[in-house]
Order: sequence, then structure tokens, then C-alpha cells
Amino acid sequence: MSVNGFQIIVLAVLGCLLVLTVVAMVRRWVTRREGVAWTLVWLAASVAMVWPGILADLARGLGIGRGADLLLYCTVVVVLCGFMMVYVRLRHIRRDVTQLVRELAIRDAIINSDGRG
Amino acid sequence: MPEDVRESLFIVVPAYNEGPCLANVVGELRETYPHVVVVDDGSTDDTFEVARRCATYALRHVINRGQGAALQTGVEFALRRGAQFIATFDADGQHCVEDIPAVIEPIWRGDCEIVLGSRFLGSAEDIPRTRRLTLKAAVLFTRVVNRVELTDAHNGFRAFSRRAAEQIHITLDRMAHASELIDQIRRCGLPMHEVPVRVRYTPYSLAKGQSTRGALRILFQYLLGRVFQ
Repeated sequence: MSVNGFQIIVLAVLGCLLVLTVVAMVRRWVTRREGVAWTLVWLAASVAMVWPGILADLARGLGIGRGADLLLYCTVVVVLCGFMMVYVRLRHIRRDVTQLVRELAIRDAIINSDGRG
Repeated sequence: MPEDVRESLFIVVPAYNEGPCLANVVGELRETYPHVVVVDDGSTDDTFEVARRCATYALRHVINRGQGAALQTGVEFALRRGAQFIATFDADGQHCVEDIPAVIEPIWRGDCEIVLGSRFLGSAEDIPRTRRLTLKAAVLFTRVVNRVELTDAHNGFRAFSRRAAEQIHITLDRMAHASELIDQIRRCGLPMHEVPVRVRYTPYSLAKGQSTRGALRILFQYLLGRVFQ
């Protein structure tokens, strides 16, 4: 197994991300489930970086042909899922903001004397 | 309108940058109705100052959340103040105060729980051709998608009984709330009537109203809202 300069740089970055994920999990910045998911992502990326043949074999097995194509398809699917999850989260946050704004408006309502406040 | 109905009727007026027009609209409402709730939706002009001076109740969204959100805020406030009847009324001077008794009557008579004003049963003075076409397309959309037969799907002049207002909760903050409201009326099985109302189009109200492009944006918001609800 020979590792070139590019692989070393990417592996270093992935290593840093892995350490950050573990720290985030230990300090409870992310949930345990999120931490494990991200750890698996970084490990899978590291394996694909060190042994690219695995990806190529997997691609051939799925009838895709090249490992790079498999990676591209997976990336597209993951990015689209990510967009959808962020959009749904954003909708929830917007709804919460509206509820907060509403409660403030009702709490601070100005009632003129004939409103029999 | 019986005195006890008038006393327990809350008129909700959502307002966004309506400073130039609001004092007249609210002043006219308050000549007859004791409970006028103005919800300033984070305006950047003097709307809130006008509201606190003229309205019975002045509420303010600290940030702009859209007309649907402002309406829901006004309705929730009215319910907490003990409203038995709630009407919603535009702040731009399009609606006529004289139409309010006709909009409320089917509810206090017990004929229905919700009344929607219809400019196409009543009159739409000086309505531009493109606006008419857009509104007719919205009516068609309501028939096909919401499966409700209406003559005017996006009129801000509506009335609710307390029971209906308690069951309905508008979640689409922006203009798509009108279609969401119709969905909820159908889902809750609330009896509904349409009554004729007048809508006056002025250069001011036309400038504040929705363009055809705006209507497409509303359609998009509504469809997204349905998918992700």
C-alpha cells in the first residue's frame, strides 16, 4: 500500500474532523447518534481514500462501472437529502420564531382605556 | 346587529406599512365597533404609532412574519380577550365597514360558523383585468386542489364564530394562509357561507396588493407547505 501526497493531506483533514467529532460527542455539542453517524462518514471516506480499489469493486458490483461515478451519485443523493433536512429544520425554526413573536405581541399588547383592560 | 353581538365582536386588522391609510380605516371601524385589534407586522413606518393611538388594542410583531402570522396573532388575542365573534378586515381601505353586519349575521343567527366575503358576489370596483384573472385562477385552483366551491378564494374579509376560531390554526405565515384556511375549514367540517361584499380598488391598495408574480410565489409557498406539513 503506497500513499501519495494528496492522500496524506486528505487523511490529515479527515483525522482532524474525526477528532472534532469525538470532542463534540464527549462535550455533548452533538447527540450520540449524530456523532456516531459523522464518525462513520469520516471512517468510510478514509477507507475509500486509502484503498480506492474497494470503491471500484463496489461500483462494478452495482453495475455502475467506475468508483468515481459511484462516489458522484452518492454525493448527489446525500446533498439532496441534506438540503431537504435543512429545509424542514428551517421551517420548524420559522414556526417557532413566529410563535415567539406572537407571544411577545400578545403579552405586550397596548390596550386603550375603552378596551376595558 | 344585536347589541350583545356587537359588544362581543372583535375586528382583527393585520397591518404592514399601512401608516398612510390605517387611521382612517380604524377610525371608521371604531365609530361602530368597540373592539378593533390592529396587529402591526413589524412595519418600518409609523403603523404601530397610528395603531396605538387609534385602535382599541395595538399589537406589534417585533419582526415581520407575514399576513397569515399577523391574522393568527390577532385571532388568538381576541380569543384570550373573550371574543365570541371575530372578523378580519384589511388595513388598506379596500373593505367597507357597512358590510360587517352582513358578514356577521349568518354566524349569530346560527346558520354557519364561518363567513367568507366574496367580491364576485358583491362588487369589485375598478378591479384591474389582470387582478380579476388572477383571482379567478385562484378560485379554480381552490375548486381543484382544496375541493371547495367558492366564488372568491382570497378575500381578507372573513368572520368566525368563537368555536371556529378555536379550531383553526394558520401555520403558513405569508400570503398562502388563505388556501390553508380553506383546507382547515374543510378538514374541520365547519359550516361556511359566502356573502357579497364590496372591494374598492384604489391606486394605494393596488400598489399594496399582490402582482401575478406574487400569486405564483404564493402558489409555490402553499404547495411546499402542503408537502412538508
